[in-house]
Amino acid sequence: MSISSDVLNEPQDRDAIIRMDDVSVTYDSGDSYVLDDVSLAIERNEIIGIVGESGSGKSMLASSLLDAVPDPGQLSGSVEYRPVQDQNVEVLALEDSELRALRWEEISMVFQGAMSSFNPTMKIKEHFIETLEAHNAPVETGLNRAHELLEDLYLKPGRVLGSYPHELSGGMQQRALIALSLVLEPDVLVMDEPTAALDLLMQQSILLLLRELREKYDLTMVFITHDLPLVASLADRLAVMYAFELVELGPASEVINTPTHPYTRALLNATPNLNAPLSEMRPVKGKSPAPINVPSGCSYHPRCPLDTEECRTNHPPADPVTPEHTAACFHWEEARTEISLNYAETGTNDGDWR
Amino acid sequence: MRMNSYYLKRTVRAVLTVWIVITITFGMIRLLPGGPLEQLRGKLLRQGVSPSRVNAMIESYQNVQPNQSILEQYYEYMTALLTGDLGQSFLQKEPVTAIIGDALPWTVFVMVMSTLLIFVIAIGWGALMAYWEGSTFDLVSSSASILFAAVPFYVLGIVLIIVFGYQLELLPTGHRLSPTVEPGLSLLFVLDAIDHAILPITSMVLTGAGLQVLAMRGNAIQVLGSDFVRVARLRGLSDRRISVRYVARNAILPMYTGFLTLIGFNLGGSIILEEVFSYPGIGYYMFQALEARDYPLMMGIFLIITVALVMAVYIADLTYGLIDPRVKSGDSREAY
Ligand code: SF4
Repeated sequence: MSISSDVLNEPQDRDAIIRMDDVSVTYDSGDSYVLDDVSLAIERNEIIGIVGESGSGKSMLASSLLDAVPDPGQLSGSVEYRPVQDQNVEVLALEDSELRALRWEEISMVFQGAMSSFNPTMKIKEHFIETLEAHNAPVETGLNRAHELLEDLYLKPGRVLGSYPHELSGGMQQRALIALSLVLEPDVLVMDEPTAALDLLMQQSILLLLRELREKYDLTMVFITHDLPLVASLADRLAVMYAFELVELGPASEVINTPTHPYTRALLNATPNLNAPLSEMRPVKGKSPAPINVPSGCSYHPRCPLDTEECRTNHPPADPVTPEHTAACFHWEEARTEISLNYAETGTNDGDWR
Repeated sequence: MRMNSYYLKRTVRAVLTVWIVITITFGMIRLLPGGPLEQLRGKLLRQGVSPSRVNAMIESYQNVQPNQSILEQYYEYMTALLTGDLGQSFLQKEPVTAIIGDALPWTVFVMVMSTLLIFVIAIGWGALMAYWEGSTFDLVSSSASILFAAVPFYVLGIVLIIVFGYQLELLPTGHRLSPTVEPGLSLLFVLDAIDHAILPITSMVLTGAGLQVLAMRGNAIQVLGSDFVRVARLRGLSDRRISVRYVARNAILPMYTGFLTLIGFNLGGSIILEEVFSYPGIGYYMFQALEARDYPLMMGIFLIITVALVMAVYIADLTYGLIDPRVKSGDSREAY
């Protein structure tokens, strides 16, 4: 796969559909951060992969896009949604009824574990109908769209709609859930580990389907996962999270082939790939921090082989590596030479890592 | 195919259970040395009743001809049962079926009402506690539930009789009707019947609801925290729809089987309850029969209670698949 170059070649001020500014989520009246000052512009019609270990805050990032952070989390900062280029909606300032309309009609979400996303005592069809009714959408046309979506996802619409959730396999439920999330024609689809419970083959086929859906319905997709290789083949851009912050962001091929942040490099070395023998795999040393105990300065410094005094006291800002690629590290240039990768670093956009 | 074999299995098991109980009661009366009929025979003979008359009496009590073989007796006993003949009560000089026929509706009334109320309270209260999990209301309710569940219903019954019956003189202390009221389709009869049933029902409900309230609370909390409720909220469904179709439905389902079996078990509990309240239902007569060694009556009521329990479980098994789509063949959800 190659990166869709039109996205990359756009001018600096790209067309963002969602813009997060300094978004934080705190618990215990501000004592513990589960999302720390994240700023990110999600571009129209891109697929952005957000990668991080479990507990890195990536699910919080997903929830905050819909102002749906689980209680009693406190969400602060700004999430701007731009349905068209120069129209701004501040998501975090919306009234309840406006929020209801935003969710699912504009920005939709698929959680991990489709198995538990359906009411076990209702047929799939009822889920579609009640969603359409709740949003005052015409049920007839909505169901027609549901049929089309299910067919796009290679399901038999009649059979799926007439089934109870438990009568469908995991992969079928997952696809039915994706169809349900798209039934109100949203612009953005946020997926939080959507394939985590599925086997490898099913994961791959769902990713293929997602690409087709993106083309057909002009979707913007936010794909959240711990599985870097999985999303690498799907996403246009990758954002790497560590300890509730974004540490690296860039075009997928650059992040994979010329990773820059020491954590990203360690993460890639810990990931199986075709060009490195298994013996070369090294787990990331140490443990990622808990929300109450995030280290000062660069939160990665206790695990970083390159840490200096500066790292321990100052917080590294996102530094541009290339115009489209940033890394939050003081010493990213050293990192590229000091931390070797267990696969060939190509420096081009066309690495065969994937 | 699977479904049919499931229903067949359940039916066979229910019939088999009843048959075994009947056989055991038959055996208990007849086969145990020094069993009740032997005692009765001895007593009558000692009283100077002629042996042929003794035999005739025993025969009429239990449809038994003592000179027949055990198998013949068993056959006679079973056919008598199947035609609805449970023998003659020693004590009341009446057919056992007549006594049960008179008493059973009252017991069923009290117990079904109690069980229904228990579940209505449990579902409503438990759901509220779950919604306000961790609040003072939740805390106080939880403690109260445990406290009431720890009190035996007969103790509470006695307390209620003393307070509301004797001290405040608000409610009758016993009996199912006032002496002046005749059963019939009159408002007076209905009100009087309810008046007499209030205290027994209250003592069953207050002591029985606690555990069910806590069970409902637990179920509802689990459902409230489930992914499908979170997704339903994100899909913009109304709170009303979420509480009814999502939370209530999924939290109540697991309680259905318990509800039916509790009715069955409560029928057994009527023995003590009705004695405390001098409420002439089957439990009351069971107690009398036990005291007076009135074996035919005892066995008759025992059979009725057993059959009721077996039926409750049987109905629960057969109908659960209808209300929970996940259980089509019932293999994972059997009442017992
Ligand atoms: S800022 Fe310092 S500690 Fe943090 S990743 Fe870069 S080199 Fe390591």
